[in-house]
Amino acid sequence: MALALLILELLSTPTTAVAQEETPSIDVAALLGQPAGSPVEGEELTRRTLEVGSLMRCPVCQGLPISDSPSASAITMLSQVRDLLAEGYTQSQILDYFERSYGEFVLLQPKAKGFNLLVWLAPVLVVALGLYLIRRRLAVASDSSPSHDPDLDEYLQRVRSEVDS
Amino acid sequence: MNRVALVVGGIIAIPLLVFLGLGFGHDPNVIASPLIGKEAPAFALRDFDGNPLELAAMLGKPVVLNFWASWCQPCVIEHPYLLRAAKQYEGKVSFIGVVPSEDREEAVNQFYSRFGSWGPAYHDSDGKVSIAYGVFKLPETYFIDAEGTIRYKHAGPLDPVTISETLEGLL
Repeated sequence: MALALLILELLSTPTTAVAQEETPSIDVAALLGQPAGSPVEGEELTRRTLEVGSLMRCPVCQGLPISDSPSASAITMLSQVRDLLAEGYTQSQILDYFERSYGEFVLLQPKAKGFNLLVWLAPVLVVALGLYLIRRRLAVASDSSPSHDPDLDEYLQRVRSEVDS
Repeated sequence: MNRVALVVGGIIAIPLLVFLGLGFGHDPNVIASPLIGKEAPAFALRDFDGNPLELAAMLGKPVVLNFWASWCQPCVIEHPYLLRAAKQYEGKVSFIGVVPSEDREEAVNQFYSRFGSWGPAYHDSDGKVSIAYGVFKLPETYFIDAEGTIRYKHAGPLDPVTISETLEGLL
């Protein structure tokens, strides 16, 4: 996180004059539409950038969010997250933008729909099945416990009394 | 075991096994691009001499959009094939090379003087074009048809067969 904060600090410093003069390389509004939220700035911008960045997978790392990765790709992506938040794009719009080009791979938390539902439902189903099996086993064990036998009771009584004497 | 438990267990286990089975047969480095069949994101870039390029101006014929870098070894492997293809399809296909923000003019020029050049390298100075195309690892190449639709993405170094077969399908 400290690394991410340092990177964000660097990203927030003014860029070169050449970069400022250039027209945007990509027209984000043409791909994403107009911002649906309000522009964010200052510390709130840093906090929101890290928050949104923590939801996105670094494309060249092993399961790391872009907010925790020192790779050039992750830094570039984090920089664009910051730019989009500063323009007023919402978290949902930003995630949609990256998903549009990288696919669902980029989302560290897959959407709960379609086949992905299995990720949420499978643990519940497995626990339910386990509980059901335990209950069944207990019921079977209780049914198969020795029945009350008066002859056996009498025999046990005799054994106890002999042992005691 | 109870019949109901067996059925429920099967309902859970079989899809998981199928899912895992499919996963074992899948190369984790190959991630399908969601952009295939969609309009290529429009972009405007400059080469290191400041000359502008807009994708829109290149359409009307197929475009080979190659993301590479001067330090990338797999890019060295595909470079001769791109050189040959750029010559073979000159006038019929546009070849655009894009290098990442970290690349430098001197390094790119050094690469060109060593291996030859099939066109200027356009500098993705803010990295946003690479993001818009969902570039994972270099090199990656997008084949865009004359109307501006992305038809194929190739991850890793290109080979002559892939280049010719894909371009023949677009011409």
